[in-house]
Amino acid sequence: MAKKIKAVVRLQISAGKANPAPPIGPALAGHGINLMAFCKEYNARTSSRMGDIIPAEITIYHDGSFSFILKTPPASVLLKKAAGIEKGSSNPPREKVGTVTRSQVREIAELKMKDLNAIDIEGAMRQIEGTARNMGLDVVE
Amino acid sequence: MSETTWLEVSLTTGGELAEAVAEVMSRFAPNGVAIESTQDAVDAEGDSKHFVGPLRTSCYLPVDDRLEDTRGRLEEALWYLGRIHPLPSLQFRSVKDADWAEAWKEHYHPIPVGRRLIIVPAWLKVPGGERIPIRMDPGMAFGTGTHPSTQLCLEMIEDVGGLNIIDIGCGSGILSVAALKLGAKKALCVDIDPIAVRSACENAVLNGVAERMEVGMGSITEIQSGNFTIKQARLVFANILAPVLIRLLSEGVGELVTNGGRLILAGIISDQVDEVEHAACRSGLRVETRRQLGDWVALCAVPC
Repeated sequence: MAKKIKAVVRLQISAGKANPAPPIGPALAGHGINLMAFCKEYNARTSSRMGDIIPAEITIYHDGSFSFILKTPPASVLLKKAAGIEKGSSNPPREKVGTVTRSQVREIAELKMKDLNAIDIEGAMRQIEGTARNMGLDVVE
Repeated sequence: MSETTWLEVSLTTGGELAEAVAEVMSRFAPNGVAIESTQDAVDAEGDSKHFVGPLRTSCYLPVDDRLEDTRGRLEEALWYLGRIHPLPSLQFRSVKDADWAEAWKEHYHPIPVGRRLIIVPAWLKVPGGERIPIRMDPGMAFGTGTHPSTQLCLEMIEDVGGLNIIDIGCGSGILSVAALKLGAKKALCVDIDPIAVRSACENAVLNGVAERMEVGMGSITEIQSGNFTIKQARLVFANILAPVLIRLLSEGVGELVTNGGRLILAGIISDQVDEVEHAACRSGLRVETRRQLGDWVALCAVPC
């Protein structure tokens, strides 16, 4: 029988650098997760990708156990890389900070397809384009 | 010393908007962002579609001189985002380090390990029975005894009677405490993390083995330089992580093992085990035993 889930938490943290400080401590300790066990396992799985943001999606069960899977980097991180910018716009409706091409959006959508709630690649691209607009990035042909 | 306090800033939105909120928050909270499903229990069928319903995105800002400025800039950035998609009000809550550092202890119970040991949290009474209790207060150091790699090591050191041991990267000192309670003669524990050194000292006292357990800051170089009373031992263990183990092997961790002795290497994810085995071979060691629990592997190697 499937185990009953208590909570699902996604942490967007730096590969190989997990420690019990926020956001990990407050996000997980209240659910009874052994912080050190999570940090050790996360760091072991991501140590070869230091410098990247590698989200971990942690499923916490009612019996106190947990499991987690690593996800693809956030779309915003991939878009910043593609546009060659450090951060998104502080006023996205008015201030544009860069551009990404449709083919870059497609590449990101293909990479993130398995993590997105999209039926097809076009739907995934629309989600990535939405994130781009929210960051002050124009999507060009 | 004053306790660190954090300001938790959170916002509950639909799934797609959570990503944009997380991106804005991550600019001001470089340690990272947490996104939590607000939906209660769901059945675990498959592993990828439980992250549903409204999502609560949170970040933590340190309460210091720059807090008001950081908070103002974060609110401004989210206000601009709110002009594209309307956002609900931000929620604020003050969080002390101790709030979460202690919270998980409520879920930490005695754990039987191997044939002879039981790990008992320092704040609980030792249960009756024949198993040898290891009292642990891991504090913030690694090594609570719940991790599969620690359990594998504990199972591999049950026959340590009369031996000297060296514990590299000792964390909370759990492996050395266990070895001493199982009859080892003397243990040298080293770690490069001062929190771990302090935690290991405290756990040695808690278990009545402090006189036989030498604890200090350092690694292979400090041991070989004679900074401690033991330079070599019949049993050496390192329960760390694969990349660190590979480095330690190249730095000569095998030379700390006396003839006829053993080196236990743990903290290895199964897909990294071949790499560690090759590094052990290059260092003049032969892997005698390989044990696995879940995704984690521990190796027992001997000098060739």
